[in-house]
Amino acid sequence: MPFEGVKIADFSWVGVGPITAKYLADHGATTVRIETTSPMDLLRAIGPFKDNIQGPDRTHFFGNMNTSKLGVTLDLKSAAGLEVAYRLIAWADLYLESFTPGTVDALGIGYEKARTLNPSIIMASTCLMGQTGPAASFAGYGLHAGSIAGFYEVTGWPDLPPDGPYTAYTDTVAPRFLAAIVMAALDHQRRTGQGQHIDASQLEMALHFLSPQIIDYHVSGKMGTRNGNRSETAAPHGAFPCEGDDQWCAVAVENDQQWAGLRRAMGEPDWAKDPGFESAEGRLAHQDEIEGKLSEWTRSKPPKSVMEILHSEGVPAGVVQRSSDLLRDPQLAHRGFFHYLDHKEMGTVPYTGHQFRIKGYDNGPRFPAPVLGQHNDEVLRDVLGMTEDEITEAIIGGALGS
Amino acid sequence: MLSPYTVLDLTDEKGELTSMVLGDLGADVIKVEPPAGSPSRVMGPLLENAPESERSLQYYAFNRNKRSVTLNLETEAGRKALFSLAGKADFIIESARPGEMARKGLGFEAMLQANPRIVYVAISPFGQDGPYADFPASDLTLAAMGGPMSLQGHPDRAPVRVTVPQVWLHASAEAAVGALTAHARMVRTGEAQFVDVSAQTAMVWTTLQAMSAHGIQGFDFQRAGTTVQLGQISFQMVYDCADGYVVLFPIGGALAKFIEWSTDEGIVPKEWLAAEDWSIYHFKVLQGETLAYPLEEVVDTVRRWVSGKTKTQLLEQSLLEGVPMAPVSTTEELVRFRQLEERGYWLQAPLPNGQEVPTPGLLARLTETPLKVRRWAPKLGEHNQEILGGMLGLSASETAAACGPAGS
Repeated sequence: MPFEGVKIADFSWVGVGPITAKYLADHGATTVRIETTSPMDLLRAIGPFKDNIQGPDRTHFFGNMNTSKLGVTLDLKSAAGLEVAYRLIAWADLYLESFTPGTVDALGIGYEKARTLNPSIIMASTCLMGQTGPAASFAGYGLHAGSIAGFYEVTGWPDLPPDGPYTAYTDTVAPRFLAAIVMAALDHQRRTGQGQHIDASQLEMALHFLSPQIIDYHVSGKMGTRNGNRSETAAPHGAFPCEGDDQWCAVAVENDQQWAGLRRAMGEPDWAKDPGFESAEGRLAHQDEIEGKLSEWTRSKPPKSVMEILHSEGVPAGVVQRSSDLLRDPQLAHRGFFHYLDHKEMGTVPYTGHQFRIKGYDNGPRFPAPVLGQHNDEVLRDVLGMTEDEITEAIIGGALGS
Repeated sequence: MLSPYTVLDLTDEKGELTSMVLGDLGADVIKVEPPAGSPSRVMGPLLENAPESERSLQYYAFNRNKRSVTLNLETEAGRKALFSLAGKADFIIESARPGEMARKGLGFEAMLQANPRIVYVAISPFGQDGPYADFPASDLTLAAMGGPMSLQGHPDRAPVRVTVPQVWLHASAEAAVGALTAHARMVRTGEAQFVDVSAQTAMVWTTLQAMSAHGIQGFDFQRAGTTVQLGQISFQMVYDCADGYVVLFPIGGALAKFIEWSTDEGIVPKEWLAAEDWSIYHFKVLQGETLAYPLEEVVDTVRRWVSGKTKTQLLEQSLLEGVPMAPVSTTEELVRFRQLEERGYWLQAPLPNGQEVPTPGLLARLTETPLKVRRWAPKLGEHNQEILGGMLGLSASETAAACGPAGS
């Protein structure tokens, strides 16, 4: 495993921090996820819940983000809990946290303290806005940062309020950058023994996904806005209704060859022979008409048939898939994307794997997410090497919370 | 941090962010382009008044911290130079259709001969093999096949993508993580690594709690317009304000605050405050418990409170009161956001048209190995001599043969 022997104290919560630590955990790092029982990780309160029965150990929102981790509950406001936190920081190569800026200092586990406990520690602090600046304390979620970044403005229909990307969008962007950053920092630490503090703003990382548009604004004053599924350079370009209940197939004709392919796929209907449609310019000018006609053709066919017919003529097309489709998608099955693992409370459930596959070993996840406090004993005894007396003392002191 | 390592970037717009991330983290990145330039050099948005191969802001945005060399890989001289560079590199990143590099004799197996410790990263729509590997694909169709479209858009209309293309950015940022994970394994084993990145699965991950939801709860989450679906119920998330829209999530402590402010302003009577434990109201909704006031009436109260205030007022109140309310920013509003300016986020970049403009900044702040933009996007073949002459020791005529005629 790539990160075998790497030790991570994951004090983070909700999305970005836990997803970042998951990369390392699934690929071999010994990862301790530290939680408190009050407040609990927000994800433990949000579904999907197994069989729709709510409970902190029944949500797969938490589950998918926290595979291959050992779970321990600590009361960081008790002296005994803080003592265990010190031991974890002294043990770890990487200490990850995502509290509101200032919180770790108030708790007594800020970077200065961490460095005295472990001079070569890498500490990564991530929050929406970064550790400094007038909005540092803005304690929102990825949907808020996604909105401030501009992703909401550019998702939806021009004549309707912005629908936005699905929920906490920057939580889907920031972990990719943050994981690369901490992996580079771990490589540097391995070679030089040097650790450091990382201040990673989720908004700042995510803005790279709008970079050309931001630069263009400064040059030309142009601002992007939401435009359904339309493209500035290609038509037809949209999601078209298919047979069945709310079934759709996305079709993107990006050049004249693909337009010819689409015409063949539809059986060369007369309406499509209009010479005005042969250039992208012409098709863009007549989008409403073309989309209407194409919808008439797709409506009577299942989405998968539309996709297959178009693929046979070289036209990019894709069924609009939901979770139920993904779980039986033959390509994802071929890649072994979903791992079925036996969770302590939920039983055998599908865990989502990684978006890259490295040849030669099982890329994980290695084991299911912990139920609250599942590995309290194991972490204190085996990971931290505490004696029975020390463990008893910690528990009596309230280290593990209520 | 990655300064000991060299990256060969053979990608186009589908992978240029990968090596930019590695370059930002310190690696020496060599952008290997065909003599005519990377296809991304003609992708919009485009600058006016700049040389033809330097007009693309897409290229400019994702190719900082790279040097450019042109190699004509149709010729023996060009291929030989590529293999020599591969021998000196630690990473190769490519985004060709599956099998294409192997057909040209430039795939993983060939590179392995040049460098038995290479980390080879291949980015593609669905992965290198499997039933969908050769499917024609685009940003839109991958957003469909990965799942996010099914969750985005008004329920009475078609599902939508993010209008600004996102798919290859997700896949290529993800590929940087794959590259460094494989590198860690190379360090342990001393063996070359092959990394197969699938854009479809990168899009699956953008659906967060929805991705395996059906296997857990027995039903799919659905697109819900400006609301967000929790369990079987949807909560309004996007609200009209005086000068646009604002995103907020009226549950828990935030809802308690909204109700308090609404009673202060006389939108609802004072007795609302005590009539309900607002911080757990959303749990009661989800569990179908008896409510003092129905959800629609509560959402309407929030709507009325928000409607009279401007984006700026709401953001200021967020910071003051700790209740997050986020304006739906246009680009103009984003670039004026005080937080980014006071953090010194924006980096002034010299564009090929002679203008200097603020561009997205460093990925993060590091105390011991601060990140840096050492150079902005290169001109086509700007470093041919430096790389082929300097690094490989080729003569002027050998360099010319390897690079091929410009623009061919």
